[in-house]
Amino acid sequence: MKIVWEKWSWTMLTLLILFSLGAGLWVATKKIDYTWRWNRVPQYFVYHNEDAQTVPFDARVTKIEQGRESATVTVISENDVTETFVVDTNEVAVSVDEDLFEGDTIGYTLEWRAGPLLVGLWTTLWLSAAASVLGLIIGLITGLCRVSTNTTLRQLSVFYIEIIRGTPLLVQIFIFYFFLGTVLDISRIVAGISALAIFAGAYVAEIIRAGIQSIPKGQMEAARSLGMNVPQAMIHIILPQAFKRTLPPLAGQFISLIKDSSLVSVIAITDLTKSGREVITSTFATFEIWFVVAFLYLLLTSVLSQVIAWVERRLAVSD
Amino acid sequence: MIKTVDLKKTFIGRGQTVHAVDGVSAHIKPSEVVVIIGPSGSGKSTYLRCLNGLETLSSGHIIIDGVDLSDRKTDLNLVRREVGMVFQQFNLFPHKSVLQNIVLAQQVVRKRKTEEAEEKARMLLKKVGIPEKEHEYPIRLSGGQQQRVAIARALAMDPKVMLFDEPTSALDPEMVGEVLEVMKQLAREGMTMVVVTHEMGFAREVADRVLFMDQGKLVEEGTPEHFFTAPQEERTKAFLRQVL
Repeated sequence: MKIVWEKWSWTMLTLLILFSLGAGLWVATKKIDYTWRWNRVPQYFVYHNEDAQTVPFDARVTKIEQGRESATVTVISENDVTETFVVDTNEVAVSVDEDLFEGDTIGYTLEWRAGPLLVGLWTTLWLSAAASVLGLIIGLITGLCRVSTNTTLRQLSVFYIEIIRGTPLLVQIFIFYFFLGTVLDISRIVAGISALAIFAGAYVAEIIRAGIQSIPKGQMEAARSLGMNVPQAMIHIILPQAFKRTLPPLAGQFISLIKDSSLVSVIAITDLTKSGREVITSTFATFEIWFVVAFLYLLLTSVLSQVIAWVERRLAVSD
Repeated sequence: MIKTVDLKKTFIGRGQTVHAVDGVSAHIKPSEVVVIIGPSGSGKSTYLRCLNGLETLSSGHIIIDGVDLSDRKTDLNLVRREVGMVFQQFNLFPHKSVLQNIVLAQQVVRKRKTEEAEEKARMLLKKVGIPEKEHEYPIRLSGGQQQRVAIARALAMDPKVMLFDEPTSALDPEMVGEVLEVMKQLAREGMTMVVVTHEMGFAREVADRVLFMDQGKLVEEGTPEHFFTAPQEERTKAFLRQVL
């Protein structure tokens, strides 16, 4: 009981500190001349798009059939060509027997469209996912080369890892886009994903190497003593155990990758960060949008860490 | 069955060279139980590990069932499936259940069907006395149970020879008996066995022949009666005085 009470009071202190930080921030922003316009933000997630339906020729409206959600408008041209248009029930702009000229609006169809922030979020998501999968494959191969008995494979993997870890990702992205993009004629999106994947691969390789080396030597010996060759022992014995041990650091690496993917906005890939900047240029809601962008990244990364925590619990059955 | 000719294994470390096995020649006949004893660091474990190629030879020959392991053309994986090995630290696969531990190599190496492999695994688990543990993970078993699973895992490959590398040294004293019992049963069934151990009782009771190694050399060999009652070499006598 005492312990529960103690924990509760400390939690209250945490909340108090967080609250006063927030209040301080609020007071500080009050002092500067900034008008918060949170109401402008939602339309950049989804918006109602009005699509105008127009007649392609001079015509007369012959019939309007009102449905529950949509209305069908039939028109006839001077040459007796009939055509029908479907618009939303409440958006019919003509009446029966009305004469229309080419280009007149018959009505509107409304539909929900994803706004730039949602599109950007989706781009960031699949960009990071593609780079993660590729990075994992590259890292796995490099990690295996790193622990290989073959000197050339070992040296090549060290060479790759050192170069990638020793240079900034931003510079790598520029080199991939401007140099390799030009030489190999690859698109910006391919350049962006490759740069991220190769960057992540170097770190994943070191994580995998550490994982493999952390498995006791006796495991490989036991597998070999049963007649397995090295690839069989790796696939069935060493890698499954190494994978389990490396899951936490791998999760950290992929969370970093999601965040690092914001750098591809410099080569004009419209990811979440670039979308945010574009929205700001049209709304001037600088503060709000950056907060929203930060929150969306946080959403992606926390979902990923939850998923990995779930996988970790699943794998813990043999502990 | 197994023949070693002037076997040498040298470890070269920082500025010093260790002759772990220094010219051991021995001949192990089919169905023979050979126990190797000796002080720690005498090279007996290294010698055993050479027998299934876990250590590469520095020089000499090992001929198992007519196949020369030191020949570069020999596929060690083919030899190893005929030579079972039991380790001091059990080395069960912690991410696999007991049954999977025994089934895996049968499927991967022997290409047996799942039902056949599982049937064999259950039969062997019964033989080592823990049929009820098939779905447990190794971590939940006692040391003695883990070592019995390890023996079953090796036996599942239908080896012609079984090598035991101090199989009871990592066990709590009350569990030594159950593992030795399984080994005795195996010996009675006519399995060819090479056992490195400190269990003098086991050597006396089960061994057909005892080899005494010291400083990488085979010092003395003989039947248990001869070895324990009338050792010839001074080093053997000194060792026996300490352990008996």
